[in-house]
Amino acid sequence: MIGDAYVILKKDLILDLRRMENFVAMLFFGVIILLVFSFALPQDEEMHKNLAPGVFWVTFLLSGILGLSKSFQMEKEMGSMEALLLAPISRGSIFLGKMLGNWIFVLVMQCLLIPLFSLLFFAPAMDHFGEMLALSALTALGFSSLGTLLSGLTTDVRFKEILLPILLFPLLIPLLLAAVRILAGILVGEGFQGELDWLKLLIGFDLIFLIIAYLTFDFVMEL
Amino acid sequence: MRYSSILGWLSLLGLALTAYLVFAWAPIEQAMGFVQKIMYIHVPSVLVCYAAFFISFLASIGYLWKREEKFDVTAYAAAEVGVIFCGLTLVTGAIWGRPTWNTYWTWDARLTTTLILFLIFVGYLLLRRFVEYSDQQARFAAVIAIIGFLDIPLIHQAVTWWRTLHQTSTLFSKKAGVIDDPLKWMLYLSIFVFYLLFAYLLAKRVELENRERALKRLLANAD
Repeated sequence: MIGDAYVILKKDLILDLRRMENFVAMLFFGVIILLVFSFALPQDEEMHKNLAPGVFWVTFLLSGILGLSKSFQMEKEMGSMEALLLAPISRGSIFLGKMLGNWIFVLVMQCLLIPLFSLLFFAPAMDHFGEMLALSALTALGFSSLGTLLSGLTTDVRFKEILLPILLFPLLIPLLLAAVRILAGILVGEGFQGELDWLKLLIGFDLIFLIIAYLTFDFVMEL
Repeated sequence: MRYSSILGWLSLLGLALTAYLVFAWAPIEQAMGFVQKIMYIHVPSVLVCYAAFFISFLASIGYLWKREEKFDVTAYAAAEVGVIFCGLTLVTGAIWGRPTWNTYWTWDARLTTTLILFLIFVGYLLLRRFVEYSDQQARFAAVIAIIGFLDIPLIHQAVTWWRTLHQTSTLFSKKAGVIDDPLKWMLYLSIFVFYLLFAYLLAKRVELENRERALKRLLANAD
């Protein structure tokens, strides 16, 4: 099972590397959102300090969702969806491969987004790069578990561009709240120590939806 | 007479009786005064809404397990009725909130949880609209109902830590004498009547959905 998932993951990553435009588009979208925030919000260092966690995660959600919708769209366009489903591997392996692909994709984006965030919105963020990346890894896990499931679900649906966020964002509210709180703790220099309850909630969310998405993916991907 | 018409007449009589008793018999609550009477709509609505979403959740599991259409029809009908009562809860809550908290809306844990619940199931109904009627629609909707329902405890925990203002549940409070007897019995009666109304609406909606599907099949065969 792990081997099958690894093959799918490798395939997706190679495709992503060859078609950099997806990644570049996603990154630039993130930059544009940060710019919009800088223009829309007052230029006040003190205020930016309070707004920083929220702005960071909203940017993450909006640009991350672009990455999600591409992961099954790609299979659709090349007509390889049926082949993938007919392959003698479990649906769970397909899910794991795709999910990890999205996870790595989003994490690489975060590696670049954190410096940009520091540059465009909140300069002290760069001092906490390591912690922010670790938190991003946890947040992105829950995000890509639910996101992969729902993007698989909406591939064939009309108006999927609008339906995916409508379905996904309300479900992600606990994840968003936890991530904002923990990031606020990190930015004032408390690290993860300040918000241990929220950290537990975040990890709980990741585990619950990783398992549920893994189990329900079978029903989404029936031929 | 069919059982749904019996339910219909019973709930009509019950609603008339409740409306009469609420104004003629139930005493005015001391602290909140006359506005408190909206409780007899607000509390039953939210209880019906929980019951409806729970039925939808169970029926969705039933569908994925047994693949019988009756489960799908029940899940759909219950979700739709649930969304109506959830909306009713939000509206009556806002009307109640204005005189008691001096604001229509506040980001309190219970309000926020109910709103997110509302949004998740509105998304569920939209998905039903956007996917062509098929077993695919049934599977997709079932997956959303299941993950939506399982997300509720997490959402509730997250927004409770986030903030809380709503009075705790008086009805399920373990302390004796929190709620006066006449008020309590009035509330029990209105809850009972609302459940009757719910059962009626659910039965009607299931009936309608079955007819709609029968018609669709007929038309499909005619072509």
